[in-house]
Amino acid sequence: MKGTWPAVAFFAIAALWPVVVRDPFLLDSLVLILLWGSTAAAWNVAGGYAGQVSLGHAAFFGLGAYSAALLGTKWGLSPWIGLLVGAVLATGFGILLGFLSNRLRGPYFALATIAFSQVLLIVASRWRGFTSGSEGIPVPFRPGFWTLGITDKRIWVAIVLVLAIGLYLVELYLERSRRGFQLAAVREDEDAALSLGVPALWLKVAAIAASAALTAVAGALWAQYVGFVDPLYVFSVDLSVRFALAAILGGIGTALGPFLGAALILLLETYLRARFGGIGAGLVGIYLIIYGTALVLMMRFAPQGIVPWVGERFRRRPAAGSAS
Amino acid sequence: MHVVPQLLVSTILLGGIYALIAVGLTLIFGVMRVVNFAHGEFLMLGMYLAFWAFALLHLDPYVTLVVSLPLIFGLGWLSYRAVMRPVIHASHNVQIFTTVGLSIALQNVALVLWSADSQFVRTGYYTVVVRMGSAVLNLAQLIAFAVAVLTTAALFAFLRWSYTGKLMRATAQDRAVASLMGIDTGRVFALTWAVGITCVGVAGVLLAPIYPVYPTVGLQFVLIAFVAVVLGGLGDMAGALIASLIVAAVEVIGSYVIGTAWKEVLYLLLFIGILVVRPAGLFGQRGAEAIGT
Repeated sequence: MKGTWPAVAFFAIAALWPVVVRDPFLLDSLVLILLWGSTAAAWNVAGGYAGQVSLGHAAFFGLGAYSAALLGTKWGLSPWIGLLVGAVLATGFGILLGFLSNRLRGPYFALATIAFSQVLLIVASRWRGFTSGSEGIPVPFRPGFWTLGITDKRIWVAIVLVLAIGLYLVELYLERSRRGFQLAAVREDEDAALSLGVPALWLKVAAIAASAALTAVAGALWAQYVGFVDPLYVFSVDLSVRFALAAILGGIGTALGPFLGAALILLLETYLRARFGGIGAGLVGIYLIIYGTALVLMMRFAPQGIVPWVGERFRRRPAAGSAS
Repeated sequence: MHVVPQLLVSTILLGGIYALIAVGLTLIFGVMRVVNFAHGEFLMLGMYLAFWAFALLHLDPYVTLVVSLPLIFGLGWLSYRAVMRPVIHASHNVQIFTTVGLSIALQNVALVLWSADSQFVRTGYYTVVVRMGSAVLNLAQLIAFAVAVLTTAALFAFLRWSYTGKLMRATAQDRAVASLMGIDTGRVFALTWAVGITCVGVAGVLLAPIYPVYPTVGLQFVLIAFVAVVLGGLGDMAGALIASLIVAAVEVIGSYVIGTAWKEVLYLLLFIGILVVRPAGLFGQRGAEAIGT
C-alpha cells in the first residue's frame, strides 16, 4: 500500500508503546490520544469525506456513553452489549439526521446538528427517572474483560488501538474505493455527481450513519474507561467542537490527520498543565483561550491542516528536482 | 382565561429582547454570508460591561448604554479587522470554525478574568413591578423591551434610508456587482459586523438587570437567536423580528403548559422542524439553504 507508511509507523509506535513504557501517565495519554483520535476520525467520515460539517457529534458520543452506562447500571448488562445498542441507536439517529438534513448545507447543517445534540442534552439532564438527571451516572467497576472492568492500562491501549486502526481502515477505504470516489464527487459538486448517476442521498446518509455509529462506539468505551457519564459534558457543544478540531488540525478529509490532531491537542493540554500547574478554572480557561486562538489562526494560515501541509512540502522536493 | 393577558405581555417583552439579538445575527448573515457562532459571546461581554460598570462605578446599566454603545462598536470593528477580514472570502467551513474559535477564546477570557461564578446586577428597581390590567411585569423587562424596539427601529431606518444603509443592502444583494459599482465592500463588511455586534452588545447590557451573567451565558440566548433567525429566513430582518415573537410565544406558553424544565426542547424541536420542512424560513427565499450561500 503506497503512502501509508506514516500511518503504519504511527500505529506501530502505539502498539509498541505499552511494551516499552510502564508509566501509567504515559499509557493514559496514549489511550486518550487513540480514543479522541478515533472520535475525530469518526467525525471526519461525515465532516471530511462527505463534507457534512457537524457541530453536534457529541450527541452520538453521548448516546454510546449512556447506552453502556445505563444498560450496565439498570440491568447489569455488559458494556459490550451497551456499545452495540449505542451504535445501533446512533445509526438510527444518523440515518434520520442524514435524511432530514439532506437539503441543508454548510452553516444550516451545522445549526441542525447543534440543535439535535442540545435536545439530547436536555433530555439526558432533565429525565431524572431514567437517566438520573444532571448528576450523571457513575459507571460501576466490575472486574473482567466482558464487563470492561480493566485496571491494566496496557489492555486499554490494545482495545482503543483496535478501534483506531479500524477507523483508519474505514477512512482508507473512503480514499481508495469506488464508493469513496463517489462520495468525494458528491461533496465537491452534488448536482454534477447526480447527473453521472451517483446515488448522492444514499451515500451521504450512509456516511453520516457510519460516522454516528463509530462515534457512539468511542463514547461507550470512553464511559467505561473514565467511569463516569456527565450529560453536561458528553452532549456539550464543546465536545463536538473538540472532535471537529482534532480532525481539522490534523487535516480534514485525511486518514491519519485526526489522530495527529488529537495527539497535538493532548500534548498542548499536558504542556499547559505542567506549565501553569494545578487544576482549576483558571488553567482550563488559559488552555481554552490558546485552543480558540489556535483555531482562528489555523483557519487563517493553514485551513487545510497539518497532513496536507506537510504533504505539499514533501511532494515539492522531487518535483523541483525533476524540473531542473 | 385570566392568564391570557399575562402570557401575551410576557411574550411581547421577551420577543423584543430576542429580536435585538437576532437582528444583529441576521444582518451579519444577510450582508456577509457568515453565521456568527461567536454572537452569544458578545452578548456575554455586554452583560459583563454592565455588571462591572455597576459594581465598580455604581452606574446604572441604562446610563452605561451611552458609553458602552461606542465601546461595543469599537470592539466589533476590532474583532472584524483582527479575525474576520482574512477569512471573509474563504469557504463556509473556514468561516464557521473561525467564529467557533473566537467564541471559545472569548468565553474563556471571561472565565479567566471574571471566574465562572454567576454575577448579578441588583439595581434599586430590581423588584419594581408594573401592573397592566391583569398582567404583571418587571420594570427592567419593560425598559429592555422599549430600548430593544427603539434600537431595532433605528437599525431599520438606517438600512432603509441612509446612504450607508443602501450600500449595505446593495452588498447583501450581490457583492460582486456592488463591488463593480465602486462600493468598498470591505468597509461595508466591517461596518456590518460592527453594527451587528453593537446590537447584540446592547441586548447584553439590557439583559444584565434581568438575568445573571456568567462566561457561557451566551449559548442559551444565541441558540434562541439561531432559531429565530432561521425561522424568519437567514438574512431577513423583518422575518427575524416576527420569528423572535413566535419563539418567545413558544417559550412562554410552553413554560406555562408543560413547565420551565422542558421549554428549551420545544423551541429546539420547532427549530429542527423548520430546518426540515422549510429551511429557507417563513419568509426567506426558497432554496437559499441548498445553495448554502
